[in-house]
Amino acid sequence: MVLKNMGDLKTIVAGKPRKKLVLAAAQDQHSLGAVLRAWKDNIIEPILIGDKEGIQNISYENGYDIEGLRIINEPDIDMSVEMAVKMLNSKQADILMKGKVGTSTLLRCVLNKEWGLRTGNLLSHIALFEVETYHKLIAVTDVAMNISPNLKDKIAIVNNSVSFLNRLGYSMPKVAVLGAVEMVNENMEATLDAALLSKMNQRDQIRHCIIDGPLAFDNAISLESAKHKGIKSEVAGDTDLLLMPDIEVGNVLYKSLVFFAKAKVASIILGALVPIVLTSRSDSEQAKYDSVLLSAAASK
Amino acid sequence: MTVYFFLQQQVNNREMIKSLREMVEKVLSFKRKRRIAVAWAHDPNTVGAISKAVNEGFAEAIMIGRSAEIVKTCRSQGVDEKAFHIVVADNEADASARAVSLTREGEADVVMKGLVGTDKFLKAIMDRENGIMKPDAVLTYVGALEIPAYHKLLFISDPAVIPFPNLDQKIAMAGYAIEMAARFGVAKPKVALIGASEKMSRHFENSVDYAIMCKMAERGQIKNCIMDGPLDLFLACDKKSIEIKGVPTPVDGDADILLFPSLESCNPFYKGLMLFAQAELAGLIRGTDKPVVLMSRSESELSKYYCIALSCLMA
Repeated sequence: MVLKNMGDLKTIVAGKPRKKLVLAAAQDQHSLGAVLRAWKDNIIEPILIGDKEGIQNISYENGYDIEGLRIINEPDIDMSVEMAVKMLNSKQADILMKGKVGTSTLLRCVLNKEWGLRTGNLLSHIALFEVETYHKLIAVTDVAMNISPNLKDKIAIVNNSVSFLNRLGYSMPKVAVLGAVEMVNENMEATLDAALLSKMNQRDQIRHCIIDGPLAFDNAISLESAKHKGIKSEVAGDTDLLLMPDIEVGNVLYKSLVFFAKAKVASIILGALVPIVLTSRSDSEQAKYDSVLLSAAASK
Repeated sequence: MTVYFFLQQQVNNREMIKSLREMVEKVLSFKRKRRIAVAWAHDPNTVGAISKAVNEGFAEAIMIGRSAEIVKTCRSQGVDEKAFHIVVADNEADASARAVSLTREGEADVVMKGLVGTDKFLKAIMDRENGIMKPDAVLTYVGALEIPAYHKLLFISDPAVIPFPNLDQKIAMAGYAIEMAARFGVAKPKVALIGASEKMSRHFENSVDYAIMCKMAERGQIKNCIMDGPLDLFLACDKKSIEIKGVPTPVDGDADILLFPSLESCNPFYKGLMLFAQAELAGLIRGTDKPVVLMSRSESELSKYYCIALSCLMA
């Protein structure tokens, strides 16, 4: 299966039981707005943890209807995050979302050894883009979490992302390992890692996907460009997942897609017990809504 | 398409040299003689091998050394020294230098090591001013191995020169082996990069180099071959193992070239096959402007003869 736009995620969600999403430190306007919209659209069932008075004020000011919603009053931010994480740890809910709390605080709780959401896997970020100029959704990793992944990290990031895409219905997602060039160059570490990842995939050491790399960005997303360069590749021009060499490249690509190409984006954190919606404050409410939608689609 | 492919394969097969004897026949069919300069030629095995090549008509020999000793060695082998040109040199180093300078000047087509030590011989080959190295070339060794139990010749590298080849050296070794295979009519040889297993492992550094090389071959950075590795010897040379192990590989148990991770793995491989499986090897130093025949002194007369024929094929 291939997803063409964000709307296709709704089809996936519609076929599953409704997932419970816990919004930690819920007194945040954009997050609250996105979650309530997703609730109204029957995508998730929200549980809000945070400062009840703050939540009510925001709702009043913005005309949000919170009638019938489960709200747990915990004005202390750290405590509200801890409570949310514990709730997920004990399987009372399915998705964690960050509200008005710093990323580091949230991640500290997620990684807590006693009651956190560790699985032993590396945490990684995945973003799904709907761009008019590409024929389907394209996933990009890692643009926000892992700064300068080594080969071992890249393997973990690919595994996280591939099992996520498998859950979305992609049986063999096409993974392009990005470089500045499609040739192997001993002076470009990313191209060497790309060759190793390809070989591990050929040898079934990374499974349930097709990996090729190094591919330059143009060969990865344009078949014409790949043909022009004479690249024979199952992935070139039809990439489902782009693996970034490091966070700088990834972050710039992410932002240029959003700002220059007016792409729609949804993103979540993978590698924990449950999907985590961890959008930044600068993300639009639409991006937050799409991320909630994505988390519901990806939830087991 | 399939028919065309089949016909093409028939043509390829017909032109492909599948044994060392066929290699000699090919060289004889050229109807031209290659001139071989032998450094420190008073070695009975070398004299025997050279005289066979001269008698069959594909080589001329320039024997370099102490002339009295060359004559003595020839007579002890029942060879008429008049079949050779003799060039006088006083010592091993001088003989090596003369052999190399004769090829540089175009008086000879091949340099061959006689009774001189390998180090002195290579010193003359690699001499910056007077040697015959290609600029910036990697000096290595490629052999064509004939194994009765295998259906064609197997080209191997490097059993003799580079102890632990790095990535660049491995790429060069593959290039030379591909070039040699082409002379044997193997246009797109299957290159197996040999390891202990087909899996990638950080415990085996060579597997990292191999993965990089495979991608380079895929991207056309290493040309004219089908490359895969790491592969163990079974997956490289035995189709049944492919079925049993279920590892899809374009080499498909039908390797033409085996690239070994180290000299110490390649050397016992061919020696074991020579000792226990009636294999024969013809090999050459690569990286030089002209072919260089270098065999260990203990090598048989037949091996030396095959090496001479190979040098004539490559010259």
